[in-house]
Amino acid sequence: MAAASFPGAVKGLVSAKARLSEPLRGGSRSLLVLYPRRGGMALVASATPLELSEKVAESIKNAEETCAGDAASGECAAAWDEVEELSAAASHARDKLKANSDPLDNYCNDNPETDECRTYED
Amino acid sequence: MASCTIHTAPYSCSISRPAAKAFSLGFHQRHQQLIFFGSGRRSAVVCSAEKTVVIGLAADSGCGKSTFMRRLTSVFGGAAEPPRGGNPDSNTLISDTTTVICLDDYHSLDRTGRKEKGVTALDPRANDFDLMYEQVKAIKDGVAVEKPIYNHVTGLLDPPELIKPPKILVIEGLHPMYDSRVRDLLDFSIYLDISNEVKFAWKIQRDMAERGHSLESIKASIEARKPDFDAYIDPQKQYADAVIEVLPTQLIPDDDEGKVLRVRLIMKEGVKRFAPIYLFDEGSTISWIPCGRKLTCSYPGIKFFYGPETYFSNEVSVVEMDGKFDRLDELIYVESHLSNLSTKFYGEVTQQMLKHSDFPGSNNGTGLFQTIVGLKIRDLYEQIVAERAAASAAAAKV
Repeated sequence: MAAASFPGAVKGLVSAKARLSEPLRGGSRSLLVLYPRRGGMALVASATPLELSEKVAESIKNAEETCAGDAASGECAAAWDEVEELSAAASHARDKLKANSDPLDNYCNDNPETDECRTYED
Repeated sequence: MASCTIHTAPYSCSISRPAAKAFSLGFHQRHQQLIFFGSGRRSAVVCSAEKTVVIGLAADSGCGKSTFMRRLTSVFGGAAEPPRGGNPDSNTLISDTTTVICLDDYHSLDRTGRKEKGVTALDPRANDFDLMYEQVKAIKDGVAVEKPIYNHVTGLLDPPELIKPPKILVIEGLHPMYDSRVRDLLDFSIYLDISNEVKFAWKIQRDMAERGHSLESIKASIEARKPDFDAYIDPQKQYADAVIEVLPTQLIPDDDEGKVLRVRLIMKEGVKRFAPIYLFDEGSTISWIPCGRKLTCSYPGIKFFYGPETYFSNEVSVVEMDGKFDRLDELIYVESHLSNLSTKFYGEVTQQMLKHSDFPGSNNGTGLFQTIVGLKIRDLYEQIVAERAAASAAAAKV
């Protein structure tokens, strides 16, 4: 998972970010992102449906433009609110994709007592 | 068992007429109903033995899919899923006993409308509180409603979906306690209060993988929403029966990763059917570090605090946990020392936490307190059911 940083330790995060992106089947954009973590870099893959991903990027650009004019206006706040809404929707979409990805996981979540799903802890 | 009569006190009888907006229907899915159709004007007199229990949850994290919601519905049993065969972008979740409604569905302005007016979704002007009150009241009285759907992907208001009154209705969103009429309908209310530093850390985790987002854009987004958030959403804290406050840890000096959290469960005293949890001695002030001879914890350990406080001029009890759980036995050890948990068996909290060990917060106070609040709500619901049964038994004897 990404390393969460507070404003103080943040500069390293931005400059170290590298991206590779390739469209996957089904139209999701896959991103491999490098994050600095204590003791090295961590590679994280995540996929957001293409359409939502583009909406988010578009809304950010739009918000930056709107706020360049008047940063205190209602339009600026509304624009960033839209970014937040779309980011949340993108995050939910990612979770949904992840949640549905493994059929065995889905089955075992609903039926943990069946033979296939038994776990042993020694 | 008890017969339903129109004029007896314990039963709620409502007359529903098709409203001008065509948003409510006189439908009932409960046993023991009597429906009359008057001559001429179509109206239904309905008596139902049970009123829906309504829980309000104020959270900024989107609707219905939040971790808190999933833990809550899991406590009641069964998985909550979107309604089958309906709009795939519906925000509603339905399980056997519980229906979760997203209050974003009551936006009066869609995304374009808000952009034109220069208003955020946090602003009350973007929400139809009259409709929210009308529909929540209708569901509480046992009347199914056609609730609008706000599509978060397109930003438009989609055609309504039918919501049948469940045993437990949870309304989740930004403004469950904003309108006083809606507030009065709530049997229990919770506010999830994430501090700014933690919010920033979580949003970075969520959004950094998104193309287009950068640290600056995430920061700008939070800053731009802050004035409206502080003006309209934050004040709801004072009305909540329980507040879960998430703060950065005090155990690690200069922690910037936000991995370890300090979580406070603030419980209002004197709330009907809700007995706050406590540590060791109710009403006293306790500082507790469970790690020692009996329990070994890894760095940074776990620290608990319990005590009475004042919160927005209300008497409250606060249980606070700082740190994280690394092992199962830490969790069970802590559970065995907390009181008034309303569990049905020893280890139920631990079992619920383990069941969802992949959920965020499963190793710290957020998961712990969300699970405990879920059990308290279950207890509240069972008390209401028992009260109704007793009332109907008493009425039957008369």
